[in-house]
Amino acid sequence: MALLEVNDLHTHFFTREGVVRAVDGVSFSVERGKTLGIVGESGCGKSVTALSIMGLIPQPPARIVEGSVMFEGRDLVRLPERELEDVRGNEISMIFQDPMTCLNPTLRIGTQITETVRRHQGLSRQDARRRAVELLEQVRIPNAAGRLDDYPHRYSGGMRQRVMIAMALSCTPKLLIADEPTTALDVTVQAQVLDLLEELRREYQMAMIIITHDMGVVAEAADEIVVMYAGQIVEQADVLELFDHPEHPYTEALLGALPQLEGEGIREGRLTAIPGRPPDLIQLPPACRFAPRCRYANRHDACAQGVPELRELRPGHFVRSGHPASERAGARAEVTA
Amino acid sequence: MVVDPRQEQLRVEAIVDEERTFDAGTAAGAPVRQTNLWKDAWFRYIRNRGAVIAGAILLLVILYCIIWPFVSPYDPNAVTFADKNQGPGLSHPLGTDAFGRDLLTRTALGGRVSIGIGFVATLVILLIGIAYGSLAGFIGGKVDNGLMRFLDALYGLPYLPFAIITLAILGNASFWTMVIALSVASWFTTARIVRGQIITLKENDYVRAAKAVGARWYRILGRHLLPNTLGVLVIAIFLELPGVILGEAFLSFIGLGISPPDSSWGQMAEEGRRVYRIVPHVIAIPSIAIATLVLSANFVADGLRDALDPRTRET
Repeated sequence: MALLEVNDLHTHFFTREGVVRAVDGVSFSVERGKTLGIVGESGCGKSVTALSIMGLIPQPPARIVEGSVMFEGRDLVRLPERELEDVRGNEISMIFQDPMTCLNPTLRIGTQITETVRRHQGLSRQDARRRAVELLEQVRIPNAAGRLDDYPHRYSGGMRQRVMIAMALSCTPKLLIADEPTTALDVTVQAQVLDLLEELRREYQMAMIIITHDMGVVAEAADEIVVMYAGQIVEQADVLELFDHPEHPYTEALLGALPQLEGEGIREGRLTAIPGRPPDLIQLPPACRFAPRCRYANRHDACAQGVPELRELRPGHFVRSGHPASERAGARAEVTA
Repeated sequence: MVVDPRQEQLRVEAIVDEERTFDAGTAAGAPVRQTNLWKDAWFRYIRNRGAVIAGAILLLVILYCIIWPFVSPYDPNAVTFADKNQGPGLSHPLGTDAFGRDLLTRTALGGRVSIGIGFVATLVILLIGIAYGSLAGFIGGKVDNGLMRFLDALYGLPYLPFAIITLAILGNASFWTMVIALSVASWFTTARIVRGQIITLKENDYVRAAKAVGARWYRILGRHLLPNTLGVLVIAIFLELPGVILGEAFLSFIGLGISPPDSSWGQMAEEGRRVYRIVPHVIAIPSIAIATLVLSANFVADGLRDALDPRTRET
């Protein structure tokens, strides 16, 4: 059984302008010790998916209207808040995007780390402190014991993200959700933080969900990738499969927007951009959500008739498109023949 | 623009300090000279001359009220008709009142009551305001809306008449009934300030991060939100204090508050009012004392606001 199974999750925001379908029928699962990457551009529901798993979506205006999040046999969506609090930080942890704002400026670093272990493991003050030093050393904060009583403003962005990682790992969770863990960091620090995450993931034998809009990050870290667009999964596959044989036009476009430094078939000249912007999640037409930006869609085919089903093109490779690459190639071959 | 060389020096030192901190912080976690919000605030505060003077006066007045009755050669309640209605002179620096009591000693004693009521009532105001405001802001939604509309209705209550009615209901006027009367209708602003702070603070990422590690609501409120409102609360203390002291003085002056033989500044002013045509200093002294206290508290509040909230500080 998978560690985490998200089934048909619908998280909607009920706003004055209408219902925003931020997450609209998302299903995936994470195996123990594996890493799942969720990619997609801004506003496609990645973070809301993560927050829904944690039960941290702002209610109101948001509400999980349908679906379940099964974690070790418990449905987190239906778990009472008090029991959910025992899960958070203990069995599932989360790292947020901006380390500069995620630490309380009025509390010492040590206090913020010990808070978690004392809360969940009931350690004494001294034991918690010892554990905090150990954790800070693990995330490679130099002179950890001496820096424990510093306030967050004395830490740089990369160091703060390490502190966040230390806090997240403090109770050896089974699942770590990293919501754009490197977006707010310098490029040089990004690589360090990613390496650190991967190393600690192995050491703690955690499963990880890494959310990003950086294809480079998931290529490094993930075993399996979910591509989201407008609140839905549009493609899902093993990492190598996805990078080698992207099927969905959106995935292709995302990869086309990525700079390449080396390798066969290196593209030259400008990077391709994806024209247009994601659809308004309030007024969704009953059609393929990517159709307006898809270069293969046309008004008369199935793309305009309804939202395509997520179908399994190859074992383990799911696509939600009327024009996946392999069928397109096949179609072209037929025409030339 | 004329630059005060001393201030310029301070600024340069501050910049150098910052750089030093930064270098050391990023290098290898070398021991860095500790500094914190309160130390920074202190340095900003002592650069504000008006606030420093006001703070010193406030402290002196408080110390005088506490200490003088012990060292004074006169019994503040000893009636000596031979010495009545004396002007300021050598034996009685501030003169005597209609009963021949030494005013320097009596003013200190009255100050104890006035300032005591002032601080205690301010504390009560803060406690009620924090509890009400933080709950409204933290829970939010309909509860917040309900609590705030109720507060709006309470806002319609005029402060002093409400205090008078409270005193009438409680019957006798003592230290504690005065505290209740003065705080019962004046915690509204503090509640609003705290609510506003909590509402902005609870949107912070670190609150979400705390939730993500399983922190319960009381921990988030008590540990993550309220300490962040401390700066505002310190300012609120010195903003509420003058109002409360004036209120106490007013109530005692019209005869509803502290009554003889106990004294407060308001009650002393009331005694002075009866004889002000003959001996004007008897009303002047407590009035000056009240004015000094209120003014310096206002200046201190001003200085604290600049010191604790650098964003509003003029550069």
